[in-house]
Amino acid sequence: MMHIVVCVKAVPGSTGVRMDPVTHTIVRDGGAAVVNPFDAAALEVALRIKEALATEGSTCRVSALSMGIPATEALLRDCIARGADDALLLSDRAFAGADTLATSYALSRGLRELGIGGGDAPDLWLIICGKMAVDGDTAQIGPELAGLLDVPCVTDVRSFASEGLSPGRKYSPEWMRVRHGVDEGIETVEVPLPAVITVAKDIVQPRMPSIAGVLAARAAVVEVRGAADVGADTARTGLAGSPTQVVRSFVPERSGACETLAGTLAEQAARVAELWGGGAR
Amino acid sequence: MHIQPWSVEFDDFLHDESRNRGHAETISFPRTEEDVRAVVRELYAGAVPITVQGARTGLAAGAVPQGGHVLNLSRMNRCLGLRQDERGRFFVRVQPGLVLSELRKYLAAKAIPADGWDAASLAYLAALAEAPEQMFPTDPTETSATLGGMAACNASGARSYRYGAMREHVTALRLVLADGDVLALRRGACCAHGRRLSITTEGGRRIDVALPRYEMPHAKNASGYFVADDMDAVDLVIGSDGTLGIITELELALLPAPDVTWGVSCFFAEESQAVAATIAARERMRHAAALEYFDPAALDVLRRARATGSAFAALPELPESFGCCLFVELQAASEEEAMEDVERLGRLVEEAGGDAGASWVARTAIDSETLRFFRHAVPESVNMLIDERRRTEPAITKLGSDMSVPNDRLADVMALYRSTLAEAGLEAAAWGHIGDNHLHVNILPRTSGEFAQGKELFRRWAHEVTAMGGAVSAEHGVGKIKRDFLEIMYGEEAIAQMARLKLAFDPAAQLGRGNLIPEQLLPAIGDSPQWRAKRDRRCADGLTCAAGEVRA
Repeated sequence: MMHIVVCVKAVPGSTGVRMDPVTHTIVRDGGAAVVNPFDAAALEVALRIKEALATEGSTCRVSALSMGIPATEALLRDCIARGADDALLLSDRAFAGADTLATSYALSRGLRELGIGGGDAPDLWLIICGKMAVDGDTAQIGPELAGLLDVPCVTDVRSFASEGLSPGRKYSPEWMRVRHGVDEGIETVEVPLPAVITVAKDIVQPRMPSIAGVLAARAAVVEVRGAADVGADTARTGLAGSPTQVVRSFVPERSGACETLAGTLAEQAARVAELWGGGAR
Repeated sequence: MHIQPWSVEFDDFLHDESRNRGHAETISFPRTEEDVRAVVRELYAGAVPITVQGARTGLAAGAVPQGGHVLNLSRMNRCLGLRQDERGRFFVRVQPGLVLSELRKYLAAKAIPADGWDAASLAYLAALAEAPEQMFPTDPTETSATLGGMAACNASGARSYRYGAMREHVTALRLVLADGDVLALRRGACCAHGRRLSITTEGGRRIDVALPRYEMPHAKNASGYFVADDMDAVDLVIGSDGTLGIITELELALLPAPDVTWGVSCFFAEESQAVAATIAARERMRHAAALEYFDPAALDVLRRARATGSAFAALPELPESFGCCLFVELQAASEEEAMEDVERLGRLVEEAGGDAGASWVARTAIDSETLRFFRHAVPESVNMLIDERRRTEPAITKLGSDMSVPNDRLADVMALYRSTLAEAGLEAAAWGHIGDNHLHVNILPRTSGEFAQGKELFRRWAHEVTAMGGAVSAEHGVGKIKRDFLEIMYGEEAIAQMARLKLAFDPAAQLGRGNLIPEQLLPAIGDSPQWRAKRDRRCADGLTCAAGEVRA
């Protein structure tokens, strides 16, 4: 059986983002949080692979994994409503304030909890992340996870290529052929599984949950684990495990002040040059 | 107030969304009630026809001028004040040209522009900021409609299933009459005695009218004047299609916005299953704010639009097994309440022969936006289809019905549409407010012959829907293009009574000429006492009476 784990991040809804003045990180109080749109696409990719395999008689388990505050459970439950089989939430004060390195370490412990990355792991597994999160924009989690798991990584996957597959097949359980964005354009690569891929937001349109899915998810159990539960070394998690320190974050100041230029044409031109070039003539 | 002669720059003001085009000689854009009064006083002496306009989003040509003056109220778009009653309800006073989307924006942000407000209104504005979010519930699909226009045609939309039409949310209004006098009407302050109504204007003129004798249908209705025994005078103005006076101010009742709004689209293989589910949902669901339907042809139009047009590429994929769609909007005080209704909906969908798995539940902002796009894409893609056909057949337009029937006739009216469309061999797509038994059946003619056939079919439906106790116009108003249907619905004598009612307010029939009342029941243009007096004065002064100017 193939096992696909989708990493999901709760991000603020479009409005009302607040920064913590001390830690310079986003205040995550669960209000109006949504699933990062890139991760919603990642879940949809996983569900389509599962459906494609099912038509060929193969089974596939799709798990959703997140690290976040307890309220993130509602978002994971929504992933189950949309078709994920199960979900795991890593939630602990020890995880708070993590940069991407500490986050990917914590997620790797979560993957171990899901049976991936250890000696007893199934042969066929795939981690799918969104290319990046709309709040942090780092795009580092996928590659860092691949490094920790020592598997190949393909970032910014735009589509699946079906060349070399039997007619009608888009996915092989052993390897994938994908088109992904690189600096020079689009590259088609073949990646053996297990692997980590990160996907573009518009690779597929995420489905909506059905009534049956919503009702089933209501009764589902979202597993919640702390740092100790997953055997995480707390020196490597949260703020303590984060080499990245944000020194300052700020909203750029804008001024609507208006200055009327006076004087001769040459004086006015000189003033324009001054304003433009910060004094350069 | 400046009355401007017509020039090509104003030609956009000759049509509305009905795509009918009229003609006019002058136009004005008043900003205040005083401006409106100045314009109508100036035009009163000449008995010049006046067509009132808002945003021209109407579908019944009510704002399309038939000569004379266009009084465009789009610049009367201010909020004038706010009050709160002893029960804590808020009421906002607006000018008629305020656009619905703007009002919604103000309410969502709890920031209403308050220039020139009195101290009491400002105090209530401070209270509004502290209160739970408020909303104005009437939601015609076109949110660029003006509130005055919505009152003039008694607009409604999807959520009228729960909240009723515009009428229920107007608590007071001001109406400038053709002579410039003003009626200030507050709900409960002036009611008819039986079918006799007596109103006094601010100028002290008393208007005594016999209200028409016809009975209102037991269905959603925007057809002609609202009349009932002991009715409120406010209700006479709502839905009067700009024929009695010019609305210059409205007071609107607000409601607390629901904490939870979810949308659920349920797909069925057969139309009969969707109808059965609708009937069951009406009985059993507790938090439904809207029940909307999209028939198989409407979904096919969407599938084609998605495949061909990049504008619609973001539509969710519709599997072939999704035959037709029942959309339910839930508004509840908590997620638990909403979830209970989702459970009820799932059960009744299965009981109706559907599959609870073949559904979309939108609980997030992104999913809700996807469903909104899906619903709005239906009329848009149908309009595009018709525009494409008009390239080869310029004579055709979309033929959209707006009829409603009582609850117990839903299955009958669906059967009527299906059998008569099949008999005529006409292509059609139907969608709309099935919870109110009110579908917009849109005939999609390919030729001018089919166009004529479609119009004839609408006349037949008007007769049949009337026989079922329904209404020929449920929300668009009658305007100019459904005038004939009004007579089918109420009969010749009722229309004559409507004409007499109109003339009591507007003796020279200047206002909304062509709306509701056929020309032959109105005085000819210029044939009015004040016009004759003016002509006599001008002739006595030795002025030449222009040829054709006088038809005494």
